Amino acid sequence: MTDLTTLGIAEAGRLMARGDLTSTALTEAFLTRIAAVDHKIASYITVMTDEARNAARQADREMAGGVRRSPLHGIPLALKDIYETAGVRTTGHSHLKADYVPAIDAASVRRLKEAGAVILGKLGTHEFANGAMTPDQPFPPVLNPWNPKYQPGGSSSGSGAAVAAALCMGAMGSDTGGSIRNPAGYCATAGIKPTYGLVSRCGIFPLAFSLDTAGPLAWTTEDCALILGALADHDPNDQASAKAPAVDYGAAAQRSIKGMRIALARSWYEGPDGELSPDMASGMDDAVRVLRDLGAIVDEVSFPDIRDYHICGRVIITTEAHAIHRRDIIERPEKFGYTTRRRFQLGAFISAEQYLSALRFRRKLHQDTREAMRGYDLVMTANHWGAPEIFEEPQTIFHFLGKPSLTMPFNVTGQPAATVCCGFSADGLPLAFQLAGRAFDEASVFAAGAAYERATPWRSRRPTL
Amino acid sequence: MTSSTKAPTLEEFRARAALTGLVLTEEDIGHLHKGYVGLLGLMERIPQQWAWAAEPPHVFRADE
Repeated sequence: MTDLTTLGIAEAGRLMARGDLTSTALTEAFLTRIAAVDHKIASYITVMTDEARNAARQADREMAGGVRRSPLHGIPLALKDIYETAGVRTTGHSHLKADYVPAIDAASVRRLKEAGAVILGKLGTHEFANGAMTPDQPFPPVLNPWNPKYQPGGSSSGSGAAVAAALCMGAMGSDTGGSIRNPAGYCATAGIKPTYGLVSRCGIFPLAFSLDTAGPLAWTTEDCALILGALADHDPNDQASAKAPAVDYGAAAQRSIKGMRIALARSWYEGPDGELSPDMASGMDDAVRVLRDLGAIVDEVSFPDIRDYHICGRVIITTEAHAIHRRDIIERPEKFGYTTRRRFQLGAFISAEQYLSALRFRRKLHQDTREAMRGYDLVMTANHWGAPEIFEEPQTIFHFLGKPSLTMPFNVTGQPAATVCCGFSADGLPLAFQLAGRAFDEASVFAAGAAYERATPWRSRRPTL
Repeated sequence: MTSSTKAPTLEEFRARAALTGLVLTEEDIGHLHKGYVGLLGLMERIPQQWAWAAEPPHVFRADE
């Protein structure tokens, strides 16, 4: 049999359904690989060896008895370490929570377990999903498996690195301003920020209430679709939770995209604040050509300025994150990493008037984006500007003072947005684009992303560790 | 933006920082001043004039 750790979720599920593979064998393959290579990239904070073995044995017993809970039954996944897990420490990659052991699982973790997934462990993150990897934190920084000199992107750094390095079949991340799509892009995985409100955030450490979303990263778009299928549901314990109709995302990932209309937001990445690296620009042009060859209609469309979304989202995040962490920032500032601390402190200087203006601006940007999308199914744009930051370079305290975030528009609008790998630079670093759908139309996003992946060779290339 | 458009000097910022309740080192204040002034510059993109009754989303809903 081929290397079990590079199987897709759908393929592993088929093998288990036929009795050609057990969850125990699959789980042991991942535990063995984690023990052998994770020290090179430090993607795991906690490996849940015993819990994973027990869950795999239970899955095998159930499947042997003819019970098939879902496409995730027996599938080994991992969690960003801001997802609360009953009896297992949940650290937020912070000294503040280094010994915190929750009593119950986050709602999304509970849903994954009900779907039969095997939880392998907890993954490194930027501190509380907002800081950076700094040496004053209790766990080592996660490294990029494509080249450990480079950052893996964040804040769901461990999720991106672990999926790319074949240390789990999929991982949960969170996305408030791009924290799923940045590591997905820099690590060459797929990842989706679902529509705001589609997946419960109950039991996940918050960063900014009005922007926080939870979603999966996996090696393929199809695998992301299968994971999201187990997560999407109304949760009365999450005030933002929507009552959206159930959708078969796995089936959506098999749909043809012939005739699909895609609005290309080229002005966002060829604007006054900079241009893509030459490799990224070339990757984007090639991706547009592939989607057209698949039958999609791709037109350049004018959207609001990328800098408008960037500052709107940044004011909201800075203010809400300060409100959430204010008490600890005052009483125990030394417990935060030096970057995280300053980012959380900054919100104390934003006035109520400034915050409300950003919220008003958000409504306008939401309406203007929807208007620009009229007649189109998807928006397409670049995922990141070029190569990730190098670890040896000094860490920027306030990263928003650089180029505008290409991921922020879809946090501001709440739309679903996926990251799709579109090749590699001359240096071997991943390139990626985003596809965003209308609110709650994850199905179209999955259809286009999966069709692109099937038509290109990028999913056959893995990092060497 | 509105009343806070003018970038504060470091001294003005230090005085304001004293009112926040935060425990700040001189290094913190230096970083925060730089960050705040930068943020303020970016905030110039947010419109200053709104209809007086323009209502922000209380709980944002993507399907509105």
